[in-house]
Amino acid sequence: MPQAEEIKLGQELMQSFLRARKNLRIYPANNPVYGKTVEDAYRKVIEYLDLYGDLDLKLRQNEILLGDKPVFQSVEKEDNLAFILFKDGVRELSLQKGLAQNEMKGFLEAISYDFDKGDDEDVVTLFWERDFDHVKYIVDENFLLEDETYEASATMRAREEETDEGELRRAYEEALKEQAEARVLDIVPITRSDLDQLVKEIEKDSGDKIPRLTAILIDMLVCSDGEAARENLKLICGALEYAVQNGLIYSAVHILQSARKTSEDPNVPETLRREMEQVFLFASSPPVIKRLGEELDSGNMGDLGILMDYVRHLGREAISSFITILGELKTIEARKTVIDALALLGEKDINALAKGLSDPRWYVVRNIIYIFRKIGDRRAVDFLIRAARHSDVRVRMEVIKAFGELGGQGVIQTIRDALDDPEQSVRTAAARALGQIKSEAAKKIIMNRLTAKEFVDLDFNEKKEFFEVLSSWNESGVVEFLLRNLRVSSFFRKGRYDEIKACAAYSLGLMGCKEALPSLHRLRESKNRLLSEYAYTAIKRIEYGK
Amino acid sequence: MESNELTQRFAKDLVNQIAVIVRTAQIHNPANVAVVSSVEKFVSLVNTLAREDGPVTLELVGEYFYLNEERIKFSMEYLLNFDFLQREFKRRSLGSLRFACEVNAGEMQTFLSAFLNSQYSPDPFDDLTLGMSAANCIECGRIRRIVEDDNYDLRKAVKRTYFNAVSYTRGVMNKIKAGERVSIKRAKRVIESMVDLLLEKEELLLGMTAIKNYDEYTYHHSVNVSILSVALGQRLGLGKKALMELGLVALFHDIGKTEIPSEILNKPTSFTGEEWEMMKGHTLLGVSVIFRMKGFDSSSIRAAIACYEHHIHHDKTGYPKVQKLSDLDFYSRIVGIADQYDGMTSSRVYARVPLAPDRALSLMMKRAGAQLDALLFKFFVNLVGIYPVGSLVMLDTRELAIVCSASPSEHLRPRVVMITDDTGIKAGPRTVDLTEKDPGGKHLRSIVKALDPAKYKVNIAEYLL
Repeated sequence: MPQAEEIKLGQELMQSFLRARKNLRIYPANNPVYGKTVEDAYRKVIEYLDLYGDLDLKLRQNEILLGDKPVFQSVEKEDNLAFILFKDGVRELSLQKGLAQNEMKGFLEAISYDFDKGDDEDVVTLFWERDFDHVKYIVDENFLLEDETYEASATMRAREEETDEGELRRAYEEALKEQAEARVLDIVPITRSDLDQLVKEIEKDSGDKIPRLTAILIDMLVCSDGEAARENLKLICGALEYAVQNGLIYSAVHILQSARKTSEDPNVPETLRREMEQVFLFASSPPVIKRLGEELDSGNMGDLGILMDYVRHLGREAISSFITILGELKTIEARKTVIDALALLGEKDINALAKGLSDPRWYVVRNIIYIFRKIGDRRAVDFLIRAARHSDVRVRMEVIKAFGELGGQGVIQTIRDALDDPEQSVRTAAARALGQIKSEAAKKIIMNRLTAKEFVDLDFNEKKEFFEVLSSWNESGVVEFLLRNLRVSSFFRKGRYDEIKACAAYSLGLMGCKEALPSLHRLRESKNRLLSEYAYTAIKRIEYGK
Repeated sequence: MESNELTQRFAKDLVNQIAVIVRTAQIHNPANVAVVSSVEKFVSLVNTLAREDGPVTLELVGEYFYLNEERIKFSMEYLLNFDFLQREFKRRSLGSLRFACEVNAGEMQTFLSAFLNSQYSPDPFDDLTLGMSAANCIECGRIRRIVEDDNYDLRKAVKRTYFNAVSYTRGVMNKIKAGERVSIKRAKRVIESMVDLLLEKEELLLGMTAIKNYDEYTYHHSVNVSILSVALGQRLGLGKKALMELGLVALFHDIGKTEIPSEILNKPTSFTGEEWEMMKGHTLLGVSVIFRMKGFDSSSIRAAIACYEHHIHHDKTGYPKVQKLSDLDFYSRIVGIADQYDGMTSSRVYARVPLAPDRALSLMMKRAGAQLDALLFKFFVNLVGIYPVGSLVMLDTRELAIVCSASPSEHLRPRVVMITDDTGIKAGPRTVDLTEKDPGGKHLRSIVKALDPAKYKVNIAEYLL
């Protein structure tokens, strides 16, 4: 009979198993807490084994006995260590001397399994699969019996018909009469080459089974119609879901490719080909896309480009699902991939994509605008105009960038308005956008802005941006305008006006305007250091192309 | 309540009552009313059974009690008394109590007194039997040694596992037909037992596949194919987990038949063209049933593949006809071989006369390379031997025998059950190992020829079960 100290250690052990059950369910296996939990429990078990020998436990529904003393008792369903083991038939459990830490880990992982998932897993199977050397258990298999009387009745039935003595006699006599015949078969010994071939077969067998299943399901589908066809389509969707759920994106792509091929096969009945669309619709559905997003974020997908192969098979229906996950993804790589996916899908339906502009998350809105930039469809302007008034500066800036790239009459007014944006970054972005559009109207807006009374008071860098943009119109009118600015003078706020001259010098330098050299040489002598430096740089650029 | 539940209840009451008697008698005088009434209650219980079924044997094997060879189920309600009685039996090396006829209270009191007196004896079992000379109807058996228990338990376990698997398969198929949910958990446990037994003593469970059942062909066949597949997988070097998966895949290879109307499935005459097409459809239907039953996971995918492919031959003939298919799946090829072999050697509605096991193998040999994977078939022949279990053979001693297990070392010398003497007269079955030699080194018996057991209506089960 175990003494009090042994019982106490037994109780502590049970508590450490419970702790482990909790931690192993919370933390992933690569988390330090996970490893430490296993180590702690292992240390405790080894302490017991060293002191008292094998730990032999008896299981009851709500208690675990060491000898005849309970070391664990609970009537709760939650975290009832006894019940976890008892419910699947474990009646005795023994952790034995020589137990390795890896076995301990396997044992703890088995008891930590979430049996409420409803996936038909049980603790005995988990133990069995691990093939422990030092964890032994006795299981009552009776509860598995479908029909307890079956064995007895089947045995009785099988024995019922006794072999007839006369028939046996006949067999005997006929056997004697006939010549002894040669054996019908010979055992062929297994050779080295057989074994080598077998190894290859087994290696080949370890590959992904989804392509084979897909071929089967497609074969079944094309041979079916009506309800059976719909059933088979569901199976294809099921296979796709399984592939995505398990991160087998290559397999998912394979399924979609096969489905696509079938849907385009003229030998397949038209109705069936139309029904194949269900597969692509399913592939676009929110739960499937959500799972894809999780896989992207996990970093397990490897080549993220595979997602694009998946997306190529999807329709506009996938857009809203992708927009949803865009706001949920945690890694930049994942977001970039989804952006690429949306750029591909958005071309099919910019209206659906534009719905993303109403997303409450500013970064989603900015990403959508970026996607519109990538798509480059001018029809997007109508949607983007509203976003130009977005409260977040980063969104407004993105809109202006998009407008610069998209161009056209429709964007001018919004860009012009953006020149008055309270944020300098938006204003400079608007200037650059006008430079990109490069129309007469755009040039006029820039020049008007440069001559506006308040322009002189802007920050030097902002002014410089405007002049730089203007330099992209390398034409006489602009040159004259800039030369005039080189000569501008004022008794008041001289420093500010010198900044204007410096910006004009910078612009002329960019344009390589030789005409400006005399004026620039003069300004090189200016006492204003900024102006002198900008003039010098412009001269160098014009004279030496530097 | 089901009759088996009643039987179990009865058995538990019986064991519990012996424990009550012993416990009470340890406290009170034998004449005490508590002892007397508990003895009377026991006598009434045991005599009820004796009147119905004749002699009653209660046996302790390992940690379990058996009543007339049926294991008494674990019961929380009686756990303490069961534990107590087990200890008391073991303390006295008492393994069994046989009530050869109806007993009376006096005989039980004699047993009780001997039982209690033997408690502190140096030879408790001897003293117990000595003290019971007046109890004519009660016989005591010594507890069997562990080695004996192991063999006894193993054979029992094999039989139990086999029939449990058949019963499970029957249950699953019936549930599927009725549209009920099916638990795969049980299937896994059944296969685990099968794998364990095959790893421990391959020939015992393999031998059970020779037991065919015409009426319940589909269930037996499913289990047989599963056993043969796992055994072949084991020979091929698959690990435990893979064997379990293979066992599951094989067990469900014909699950599509649950969708075939039973009037076609059990049609005793030949199928019309349309019916045959419908029958062939079980391969496709199996795929749907598997996923409906288990959803998608790695083993259901493999099971579905095997359902679909197990009638497609190695050279892509067979059915269903496929548009484009690479080599058959590894498991499908294994299951295909096991399926053909068991099918050929079984009596079915559409092929009443089964082939003798050696003939079936010979026919399959001709198909190897074309219809069957030659490499896997080679391993299969090595597994089942030249004279597979269930073969009827004539020995050079002119005796007829049935092969009951293959010899791993000598394929021509399996273990056999002798069924006639050397004059052809039916003899009480006894097992003989054909590897046995006389002192001069000559084999005592050798097989001279194989016969067709179906031709002579030899009931294999009569000898192997």
